[in-house]
Amino acid sequence: MTQVPFEILRNDGKSGQSHFQSFVVDVEENQAILTALLKIRSEQDPSLAMRYSCRQAICGSCAMRVNGKSRLVCTTMVGPEFRAHGKIRIEPMLNQMVVRDLVVDQTPFWDRYNAVQPFLIHDPSHPMPEGKETRMSPEQVEQFYETPRCIACAACYSACPAVGSDPEFLGPMALAKLYRFTVDPRDTAYHQRLQSVQNQKLWLCLRCNLCVEACPKDVRPAERIVDLKRLAVQEIGTPEHGSRHAQKFLTNIEDGGVLNETKLARETLGLFGMLGQVGKGISMMRHGKSLKKHPPIQGVSEVKAIYADLNQPEDLKGRQRPAGKGVKGGEQ
Amino acid sequence: MGVLSKLHPLRSHSGAAQGGINAALDPKDSVKDHVYDTVKGSDYLADQDAAEILCKEAGPTVIEMEHMGTIFNRAPDGSLDRRAFGGASYNRTIYAADRTGLALLQALYEEVGRDRKIRVYEEWDAIDLIVRDGRVQGVVAMERKSGHIEGFAAKAVVLATGPAGRIYGKTTNSHESTGDGCALAYRAGAFLKDMEFVQFHPTCLPHTSILITEGARGEGGILRNAKGERFMERYAPHFKELASRDVVSRAIVTEVREGRGFPDGTVRLELMHLGKEKVESKLQEIVSYSRTFAGIDPVVEGIPVFPAQHYMMGGISTNPKAETNISGLYAAGEAACVSVHGANRLGANSLLETLVYGKIAGQNAAAYAKTATASTLSQADVEASQNTVHALLERKDGETPAKIRTEMQSTMDELVGVYRHPDDLINAITRISQLKVRYTKCIVTDKSTTFNLNLIEAIELGHMLDLAEVIVAGALARTESRGAHVRTDYPKRDDQKWMRHTLASVTKEGPNLTYLPVTVTEFQPKERAY
Repeated sequence: MTQVPFEILRNDGKSGQSHFQSFVVDVEENQAILTALLKIRSEQDPSLAMRYSCRQAICGSCAMRVNGKSRLVCTTMVGPEFRAHGKIRIEPMLNQMVVRDLVVDQTPFWDRYNAVQPFLIHDPSHPMPEGKETRMSPEQVEQFYETPRCIACAACYSACPAVGSDPEFLGPMALAKLYRFTVDPRDTAYHQRLQSVQNQKLWLCLRCNLCVEACPKDVRPAERIVDLKRLAVQEIGTPEHGSRHAQKFLTNIEDGGVLNETKLARETLGLFGMLGQVGKGISMMRHGKSLKKHPPIQGVSEVKAIYADLNQPEDLKGRQRPAGKGVKGGEQ
Repeated sequence: MGVLSKLHPLRSHSGAAQGGINAALDPKDSVKDHVYDTVKGSDYLADQDAAEILCKEAGPTVIEMEHMGTIFNRAPDGSLDRRAFGGASYNRTIYAADRTGLALLQALYEEVGRDRKIRVYEEWDAIDLIVRDGRVQGVVAMERKSGHIEGFAAKAVVLATGPAGRIYGKTTNSHESTGDGCALAYRAGAFLKDMEFVQFHPTCLPHTSILITEGARGEGGILRNAKGERFMERYAPHFKELASRDVVSRAIVTEVREGRGFPDGTVRLELMHLGKEKVESKLQEIVSYSRTFAGIDPVVEGIPVFPAQHYMMGGISTNPKAETNISGLYAAGEAACVSVHGANRLGANSLLETLVYGKIAGQNAAAYAKTATASTLSQADVEASQNTVHALLERKDGETPAKIRTEMQSTMDELVGVYRHPDDLINAITRISQLKVRYTKCIVTDKSTTFNLNLIEAIELGHMLDLAEVIVAGALARTESRGAHVRTDYPKRDDQKWMRHTLASVTKEGPNLTYLPVTVTEFQPKERAY
């Protein structure tokens, strides 16, 4: 047994005030942080409010912040956190309002989930085989490698810096769920699904990868978002700012080996759209960002060679997916 | 129509079911064999008419779930893949890696979300079931977020409230598996059937009791004792590791008791010979459970395992129409006992029972509601529940529910386990009744109306104590060994006397036990060997 100091952010849900409360828990280092929290509940303070149920990373109830990172406390072990930080600080998830202590109101998370039509859409004019399963090729099954593992714990949603900045953005979990239906051979709403997430809904993803790091089931939502973006460009091109920005970013670098912000903004937004960006341009110049045209860099031919290699036709369906690393156990 | 759930529905314990769902879909397999395996697995206590419905509906149910969107594993030809499972004479377990429950739960929940005609009340705890004038009138429930207590008038109620595993300390079940629906029905006058039959899953991790699916043995996993012996060859020469769960659990307990276990009191489940790729792709969850919770890598070493409480064969007594003895009250899933599992459930038959009898319950409840008169649930019913809760909150001094719960769990772990000694059972009855007295004086120190878990755990503890009492009473009365119920003083099955179901009903003095004959259609009881 080790005596482990805990600092837990308390909030009675009525006064609107939060404060850290300290506890010391006798716990084995190879035990889950959930076990320590339940010890606090049963031996020290039964008023500590939290969600938990299965204690094996399948119900998705117990996501909270552990030393600043969004984690399931049932599969995050005491030892590594304690050794790295000297204490264990527990706070509620971000991007959701606190109901009480570690319990948050998940309405915005579920609203986004519901926004992607999270159910199989099947055109009744092509009925499924009567009394028999639909057949799926190994390649089709391979598309489902990660997404069925999602347990909707919202750790990714808590870790995402973009969901808080724009209510339009659907966030990692909902987009991973959308990907799951988009690639389902039984689903007949392929075009409609990709059409429905244009602009900020999909393209606001910053590719910071924090959702990948937070996901306890290795769904790697950011990668699924990239997959969706590729499918969206293939299916409907670049009719709006989000996808066009990505496309022009690509050609911009290919041309000169360096990013030309002015050109990128003009190509993404058009001349009229640029007018709205004048203020931002002035602000950028004030902060020492040059908006002049950048000459191509010296090794631009090498950049073009890299592009040529990347532009080789890629078989999306046949790509190798790395084996899942499974549930995180503290810091591995 | 409304669904009340104490958790968000996707957090339900069905999601933790790992191994698969049985269906005789292969042309070389047969429904009759599935029925036979189920009845044999039940040690002939299953009602065979109910088992026939279960197995006949299995194929269409799996196909319906596939069409709904469930992502199952596939064979190379694109059809549904199948794996071997315990007590089954044919590979008929359809699966989704080792998270079949999650796959089915997701698909079903997605279907509920399709037209939004079903209102889901998330995080509402049912605290009273109102029965009057010989029929159900609805439920009274409390919202976790606000502490608000409200009445839900209903012409028909389906209880699909799941397991009660937390009566035990060493259980694979989730913390929320507290048997609430079972206890509410029992208190309202419903019969509980065969509660003494408690399944102990053979392969669970030590300390945490986290389940290692039977699918691991279905894929070829082998059990060995500390001497390196594949000991199941002695207990079940034909089925070996894939004998029924009661048989394998007893074998493991016997090996360890007779000194052939490892120093930590476990045996080993070996998967190494299956190869890294198969283990990591078909058993993803259990690989991570082993690494996270036991610190071992099943690709290179054996997993330490020991039996833990896993499933209640018993539950709210229903007939094959999912009706209880109370008009308008239906039950399905682990909360119910129809009975298709009898004295021992076969692996991968629980998800099947939940779906098949869940659908039957829903259809019959809907039909009943169409003809029933309006519910008489009133404000007085709600106030009665409110008063009970307020009285609990106002108690000034006493013990915490956590302390009583811990003692109940250790009582059940130590005295009502795989092998049952009569003295232990008598001791357990005494201890549970003492705990029930202490429970009437326990206090809730948290007085908040917002997400008051302390209050909820006090209510749940009351439910669990009622069910614990019924389990022990049934176990003490049943003087034979059948399936998962093994009496050290009556080691043999006694068909003459005990080919019958236990029915428990509530009285002021505790459970009153009566008995009901078993329905036998095709398979006469014979000696069970694997």
